[in-house]
Amino acid sequence: MKFGLFYELQLPKPYDRETWDPADERRIYHEMLDQVELADQLGFDYVFEVEHHFLEEYSHSSAPELMMAALSQRTKSIRLGHGIVLTPPPYNHPARVAERIAALDLLSNGRVEFGTGESASDMELGGFRVERGLKKAMWEEATREITNMMVSEPYAGFQGEFFSMPARNVVPKPLQRPHPPIWVAASRRETTMVAARLGIASLGFGFETPEELGERTREYYRLLREECMPIAHALNPGLAVLNTFMMGPTDEEAIRRSAGGPGFFSYSLGYYYNPATGSKHPPGRVNLYRAYKDSSSEGEAEERVARSGFLTEAQIREGEPREEVQRALYRAARSGNAIGTEQRLRATLRRYEEQHLDVMIFVAQAGDRKHEHIMESIDTFGRKLLPEFKERHETEHRKWREEQLRGIEFPINSSI
Amino acid sequence: MAKPEQVSDVELRALLESAHEMMRKGKSSEAVRTLSTAYLKLLALKPDLLDRTIEPLPGRKMPAVMRWPMLGANLTLESVLAKQPEIQFIRERFSVSEAITYYEYTLECAIAANA
Repeated sequence: MKFGLFYELQLPKPYDRETWDPADERRIYHEMLDQVELADQLGFDYVFEVEHHFLEEYSHSSAPELMMAALSQRTKSIRLGHGIVLTPPPYNHPARVAERIAALDLLSNGRVEFGTGESASDMELGGFRVERGLKKAMWEEATREITNMMVSEPYAGFQGEFFSMPARNVVPKPLQRPHPPIWVAASRRETTMVAARLGIASLGFGFETPEELGERTREYYRLLREECMPIAHALNPGLAVLNTFMMGPTDEEAIRRSAGGPGFFSYSLGYYYNPATGSKHPPGRVNLYRAYKDSSSEGEAEERVARSGFLTEAQIREGEPREEVQRALYRAARSGNAIGTEQRLRATLRRYEEQHLDVMIFVAQAGDRKHEHIMESIDTFGRKLLPEFKERHETEHRKWREEQLRGIEFPINSSI
Repeated sequence: MAKPEQVSDVELRALLESAHEMMRKGKSSEAVRTLSTAYLKLLALKPDLLDRTIEPLPGRKMPAVMRWPMLGANLTLESVLAKQPEIQFIRERFSVSEAITYYEYTLECAIAANA
């Protein structure tokens, strides 16, 4: 199992004011640079950064290509992942995406992971006039053509349902050939299976348990072997999942350091992604952090956070919503899994490893968590846990993957 | 591993197998239409599914069957509430990924419901 960091660039407003300090946005951007630079030095494999628009407090990461360009000059080995680029054409013209991905690949000496997706919040879809019912079709058409642009000299042009352009040679071309590894954001099981059938990696945002992950992994690789209809010019077999992450000298201290992270992450995610609230958001006029802190369920949430590091899986599941998206929100808020001491994380992560997970991606920057705690956690994990997982990845997991991919004749470009 | 042969009802299984074959041949739009028929067949076979609810927000319940993907073949809430589910097509053409999404969702639901 490989490891990465995941960034929304969350920025809660101060509780007692209506906007941020002028330096706050600058601060979180530079903190991310520092955190990823440290992760790179310690051997973390990936960083993934979202593209979101207008989701104030929840995500201030609207131009990830610029952060990735900056990181390309401050890091040496870590893979630079878009998690994801919004590929429906109203967000980004496909030719501009192909150009930016290729330019970043050149700048980073071939370290780009090209994550793709559609978005789901009303703030974003409405802001760019993307019709919800068409976004998946838009994603597919644009993603397919972006890969064509990266390999074709010249690109023959396209008359599609959602964009068209005349023949042009789209330059530069990426360093990785035929193109960087392609992923798709998957918050539902169906999308992971779309990824398998189209031959791309699944960037799972559902906070799946190890057992759920095991079932999905088996099915994903079966479909990849038996029923794949590649969308791109090279396969990128792989599954990644998110997990909240914070370490500490004791479990109690790790939970204390973590508490304002997953709770706010979940609260703000639920706010923007639920049509009942997200579609009615008055831009610039809400203090979401204050609403979160003042919410009537806060006491319950904090109690759950305080307890959850010590609950059994059965106890945790007992209170879980059955609906998949709500379950993901619940799990995001739950302060378990990759939160705790070295011993606790080793035991938890081993369960994912036993289910043959390819990549575990940690959500460290979230809510009002402190930069120094995130840096300490990255440092501790990188020194004490990462080496043993890396060793098993290179031996056991790589062998398992070879078995899964045996017989596939289509070209593969994967960093896993 | 989810496969149509795990579905007991002969007619529903045939619809799923047919949709799978259409998908494999690149006939995405036809596959979505067949899967819509399959989903309505499932709801007819297992009407208790219409009574199940989910709670997207605390205190706000909605029918669980409304998780059916709304990608242009849309299940209408009014029809679900009236216990006469209908799927309305707001467009004719569907992409490969949309067909896969409808297929995986319908197959999972059919297996989970022991249809």
